[in-house]
Amino acid sequence: MKKFALLSTLLLVGSAFAAAPRDTLVVQQAADIPTLDPGVTYDTASGAIVENMYETLLTYRGNSVRDLEPLLATRVPTATNGGRTYTFDLRRNVKFHTGNTMTCRDAEYSFERNLVTNSAESGNWFISESLLGTGSNANDDKTITWARIDRAVECNNAGQLVFTLPKVDPAFLAKLAYTGQSIVDSKHAIAIGEWKGTEADWKSFVGKDLTDSALNKQPSGTGAYRLVRRDANATLLQAFDGYWGKKPAIRNVIIQKVPEIAARQQAFLRGDADLIEGGGRSVDEQQIKGKPGVVWLDNLPNTVGTAIFMNQRIQDPGLLGSGKLDGRGIPANFFSDVNVRRAFSHAFNYQQYIRDVQQGKGKQRTMLLPDSFPGYDPEVKTYTFDAAKARQYFQRAWGGNVWKNGFTLTANYRAGSVPAQTAMEILKRNIESLNPKFKVNVQQKQWSEMLADSKNGKEAMIVLGWAPDYADPDNFIHTFYHSSGYYAPRSNFKDASVDKWIDQARATVNTAQRNRLYSLVGNRAYEQAPYILVPAGVNYTFHRNNLQGVSAATYNPMTSFEDTGTLWKDLSKR
Amino acid sequence: MLNFIVRRLIQVPLVMLVLSLFIVGLTQLLTPEQRAAGFIRSDQQAARLEQIIEERGLRDPFVVQYGNWLGSTLRGDLGFSRASGQDVLQTIRERLPNTVELTLLTALPILLLGVWLGTLSALHKDKLIDQVLRVLTILGYSLPSFVLGIVLLAVFYGYLGWLPGAGQVSIVNQFALGDLRRYTGLLSLDAALNGRWDIAWDVLQHLILPAATLTVINAATIVKVMRNNMLEALTSDYVRTARAKGLSSRVVNNKHARRNALLTIVTLGGFLIINLLSGSLITEFIFGYPGVGLWMVEAGLRLDIPAVLGFGLLSALIVVIVSTVVDILYGVVDPRVRFD
Repeated sequence: MKKFALLSTLLLVGSAFAAAPRDTLVVQQAADIPTLDPGVTYDTASGAIVENMYETLLTYRGNSVRDLEPLLATRVPTATNGGRTYTFDLRRNVKFHTGNTMTCRDAEYSFERNLVTNSAESGNWFISESLLGTGSNANDDKTITWARIDRAVECNNAGQLVFTLPKVDPAFLAKLAYTGQSIVDSKHAIAIGEWKGTEADWKSFVGKDLTDSALNKQPSGTGAYRLVRRDANATLLQAFDGYWGKKPAIRNVIIQKVPEIAARQQAFLRGDADLIEGGGRSVDEQQIKGKPGVVWLDNLPNTVGTAIFMNQRIQDPGLLGSGKLDGRGIPANFFSDVNVRRAFSHAFNYQQYIRDVQQGKGKQRTMLLPDSFPGYDPEVKTYTFDAAKARQYFQRAWGGNVWKNGFTLTANYRAGSVPAQTAMEILKRNIESLNPKFKVNVQQKQWSEMLADSKNGKEAMIVLGWAPDYADPDNFIHTFYHSSGYYAPRSNFKDASVDKWIDQARATVNTAQRNRLYSLVGNRAYEQAPYILVPAGVNYTFHRNNLQGVSAATYNPMTSFEDTGTLWKDLSKR
Repeated sequence: MLNFIVRRLIQVPLVMLVLSLFIVGLTQLLTPEQRAAGFIRSDQQAARLEQIIEERGLRDPFVVQYGNWLGSTLRGDLGFSRASGQDVLQTIRERLPNTVELTLLTALPILLLGVWLGTLSALHKDKLIDQVLRVLTILGYSLPSFVLGIVLLAVFYGYLGWLPGAGQVSIVNQFALGDLRRYTGLLSLDAALNGRWDIAWDVLQHLILPAATLTVINAATIVKVMRNNMLEALTSDYVRTARAKGLSSRVVNNKHARRNALLTIVTLGGFLIINLLSGSLITEFIFGYPGVGLWMVEAGLRLDIPAVLGFGLLSALIVVIVSTVVDILYGVVDPRVRFD
């Protein structure tokens, strides 16, 4: 008995130390952190740490995704030279974690490094598009020379950073707020074996994957937190004493890797973790919401746009059945008839999707653009679930042959994606209930296969989403609606007017004019119905009630640290 | 004996070469797009699929791809594991000691408990104790480790709060780890050698639940096999002869019957240690225990080919070494088996 009592005491003493201390933020997540090098940061798990260790020239103001404010710059510049030149004054007396003072040369080095390397894994293609006119690196595009890179970003005699663009890019400033465009400590980077910053060794760094770079192992930024240690179990950071800004209230940050959700939930409910990666709305609402010590924050903005694609030129004969409108298949251009697309758009039960998949927390958008983004027009009409209208459009489609003969369509969804599967099944049930000759086969497919096949236009109907790289409408509108956009081979939607408006919007920095053009695109897209717009989920988050600084007023969806939508320096614990 | 060990060790590079050819060959059954998917984490990165394939040479012929891998490996570079965010060698160096620590704490209880309970069960055949042990064995045998692990976690950590949750050390000790001088790589031992008994105790506490999960699951098999072997031995001629000679039950059971029954357990023990050292995948995953098993689960899920190859080679090395030790032990247990 005595032995048992001793053992129990020891165990209890051990567990008494477990709770997260007041000056320490404890985060448990399943996601791994691929890199801490801003030059290749292109995922939220890496971004969530990099954005706290490094800083960009500009950032988003509060919870806005429309307004930018200076961070390492002293003001947001206006373009000169017909919209092609941006000149930045940089903040003075800013220290890197190594103790080096930030100069204009560091900023120049950082951008040139991104242009030189521009590896496939990175998001540097979009800054390269702005500064070099192409998303490729010098290996893929031989017109890229060192002289072009050097000219694109330079420090002038007054110590200002000057960007010279080959043509106007209204999204340029928003791109600068992206974590991947953070300013790195050039002296330190060169000292530990990174690119020297000159023409001498630039060729050997072209296309280089920086995921495991020297800078990934020994980062040095100007951010409020510096890396202490990283091992298989945890990433530890500490407030940087030489930070130029306000001293953070949270001294230590621990990002623990806990792959099993049950273990994370237990830690969170016991207060050992302040924040955890959840398991999706239905799981979290059931197992976390309303529990003691938990603060639940709902109705947060979501910046992902999701659509059901209707490919107007299906390249895979295997998906076409008979390949004719004889009830046993579809022709390759089945969706090229606008009546078919409108019929499908009216056959999707949007409210049922919101109810079944999003637990009632969803919103029908008017365009494939987040409603918090500039350029979003809430006045554009939306499709509603209407069986009568769907029937009418089907009766008009293909001269009445669709309705008369019926069709067999094969739709694929990404294996393991319950929302995509549910969306397809809702659509299948509604379509098949309209006419006994209509048949929709729904089947799952591995992501890698779907990536390859959809890129080649082989998929007939799939569900795909897009999350923003930067908060500019072009990042969505061009992707989905332009005939040379990233998703164009998957939808084969081509509309001369839409192309023209998107190109015009790309060529002006006049916000009012751009908004008008995007409204035109939205209205035309409603008429042409190239996609079924899947309702957008409403975001939520939860945290322990002693954590302060998390609210809708401070939550910015462009922040990679989605747990709070803020930087760690803006949090505190009581 | 020495010859035997040397012969076995010479086999290692050959086994590894064949294994690597096999694994790299298997990956060729996947399309370049499928292999490139391991480098992609979002739809945005998917837009760069073709460049990734090009940069990584994923369309190159098998010979070229294998040659590249072999060339790097011979230079001591096993590649970069995206699942761990580190070089493969560094990952193994960091995580294998953790798995060894878990194995050390788990293997002995499993074997001792298994042998003891198996013997007990056989000696009390069909009595209450045997019935209870058989029911428990079936339970342990049929319980999936992820169910048992989660239940233990929920009860002892979540509900009772007696033991810590996932990971290797508590939050308060995370920062102190950086100051520890590492002698062996085994965290509890190193902490003790540094005089940080609090950290050593913390690490041991974190090991209790994963070790208990593995013990319950694995001991069941040993108990079952030990019981059957003992029953067979107890009815054999040599045991009858020993009894007829007037030896005490204790000597007959322990020296004559159990020693012979142990032969199969030596083989099973070898497999057990191979499994534990190669990473107890599910248990490490549930408890977020940073060993090679957790790394392997993530590497598999992410199609992290350098990691899979590195882990394959590590496993081959473990199999050859443990098999050699098992063969030597065979000779110790059974005088009929000798290598000299």
